[in-house]
Amino acid sequence: MMMNPQQIPSKILISNLKKSFGSKHVLRGLNLEVSKGESVVIIGGSGTGKSVLLKCILGLIKPDSGSIKIDGQELRGSSRKLIAQAMTKISMLFQSSALFDSLPVWENVAFLLLQRRQYKRQQAKEMAIQQLAAVGLNERVADLFPSEISGGMQRRVALARAVIHKPEIIFFDEPTAGLDPIFSSVINSLIVKCVKELGATAITITHDMVSARHVGDRIAMLHEGKIIWDGPAKGIEHSKNPYVDQFINGQSDGPIKIEV
Amino acid sequence: MLTLIAKIGRLFLNFLATTGKLGVFTGMAIIEGLRPPYYPRQIARQLIDIGYYSLPVVGMTALFTGMVLALQSYTGFSRFSAESSIPNVVVLSITRELGPVLAGLMVAGRMGAAMAAEIGTMRVTEQIDALMTLSTNPFKYLIAPRMIAGLTMLPFLVLIADIIGVFGGYLVSTYKLGFNPINYLHQTWDFLEVIDVVSGLVKASAFGLCISTLGCYHGYYSRGGAQGVGTATTNAVVSASMLILILNYTLTAIFFS
Ligand SMILES: Nc1ncnc2c1ncn2[C@@H]1O[C@H](COP(=O)(O)OP(=O)(O)OP(=O)(O)O)[C@@H](O)[C@H]1O
Ligand SMILES: [Mg+2]
Repeated sequence: MMMNPQQIPSKILISNLKKSFGSKHVLRGLNLEVSKGESVVIIGGSGTGKSVLLKCILGLIKPDSGSIKIDGQELRGSSRKLIAQAMTKISMLFQSSALFDSLPVWENVAFLLLQRRQYKRQQAKEMAIQQLAAVGLNERVADLFPSEISGGMQRRVALARAVIHKPEIIFFDEPTAGLDPIFSSVINSLIVKCVKELGATAITITHDMVSARHVGDRIAMLHEGKIIWDGPAKGIEHSKNPYVDQFINGQSDGPIKIEV
Repeated sequence: MLTLIAKIGRLFLNFLATTGKLGVFTGMAIIEGLRPPYYPRQIARQLIDIGYYSLPVVGMTALFTGMVLALQSYTGFSRFSAESSIPNVVVLSITRELGPVLAGLMVAGRMGAAMAAEIGTMRVTEQIDALMTLSTNPFKYLIAPRMIAGLTMLPFLVLIADIIGVFGGYLVSTYKLGFNPINYLHQTWDFLEVIDVVSGLVKASAFGLCISTLGCYHGYYSRGGAQGVGTATTNAVVSASMLILILNYTLTAIFFS
């Protein structure tokens, strides 16, 4: 790709990313570009490697080959210090919320603030409570443990934890999975609000087309380890791509074969 | 026949691979643990968990072991009228062998299992991944505090076990077997040498490190949901217990040969 010097490098640039687990080829030369401030939604069937993609970018899984650039800086093969630096820009909302169950809710939310030791505990707690209020949670929740609150509340706490330090890039892995439609819509709105307020770049994974249209500027479809379609969220009904049509309409017959 | 050889070969290779992986894991934990940032809260929590909350179990074990030692030695030694050496037998057995080994096994059951289960659950529920995305190294945050606690708290527990164990022997000897209390304590004290206690404490440190390392290792590499965590817990306890017994023999051979 030509890069002219005046142009800002894309926020995230992934080219030809490959990852296999044994004989199972999950990512097979994936390309994806996300520019600054853009919100991209990735859709695709279960087990197509959406979570693996995010984990590769985060350095939690080592890809076999390909390139991952954040702000034009190559991550693969860089020194640990540079990678750690790039990682501080990224934050992730996990599919399973992944709250620390040995810590009360507020310490979960303030985790990064406490790690960085910029604030006293009391200060950090106040900031955590503010952030909890921003995702619609009461102050009383702050001292409970994650196991004592419902799944939907856990998702909100995880969202608060992911945005409290104002990251430049946020990944949302199925933020609405397992929530009722009203709650899903609340979470979607919160995501949109957080992303807009922070001016952050976002990648959201979802199976839920309502959610995809709500949070995404652009939608990309992952199938057999590659992005097979990529376009504006508005026009996805008219994509004329048989894979996308089958997916968004939830039809069992079409080009996507489900192995049973 | 061939399949048998192949099987043994595979087992041996597996063993080597695991040992290597465990070595790398331990090395990582030590290197990362020595470099800042440190997590005093995590360390304190582990020190209390291992040191304080293990006291009842270890204390009870030591008490009854000391008591049964005195009782059993009496029935044996009275056959050749050597009852007078009971205090020596009790104090030596407790400080050199039974104190460290029994405390080690009890803590392996208690804390090795807890560590494997906690870290394993954190692994399968993506909490370890979340930790990494929050710029926190799990080796520094989770594993090093546990290793520090194992290394320092086991000697402390063994010291307490030594005292309680000798006290158990004293109780049975004076109340049941008719020993003179003053003489019993004198004999115990005179007979005891520094090396007896020190060797026991060194053993305890080694056992503590091995319990924490194996607990964390099995938890950290567990996969596959609840079942995986269950397997990790079992493996942590079994491997730590085995290693404690093997290490104990080796260290005794080094100290007292
Ligand atoms: N650590 C791992 N070891 C082995 N295989 C893995 C690992 N992680 C993921 N996989 C495999 O990679 C494939 C893709 O997994 P991934 O979690 O990315 O799916 P997904 O697209 O996120 O699906 P879902 O929408 O259900 O979350 C799966 O078939 C899974 O078995
Ligand atoms: Mg997934």
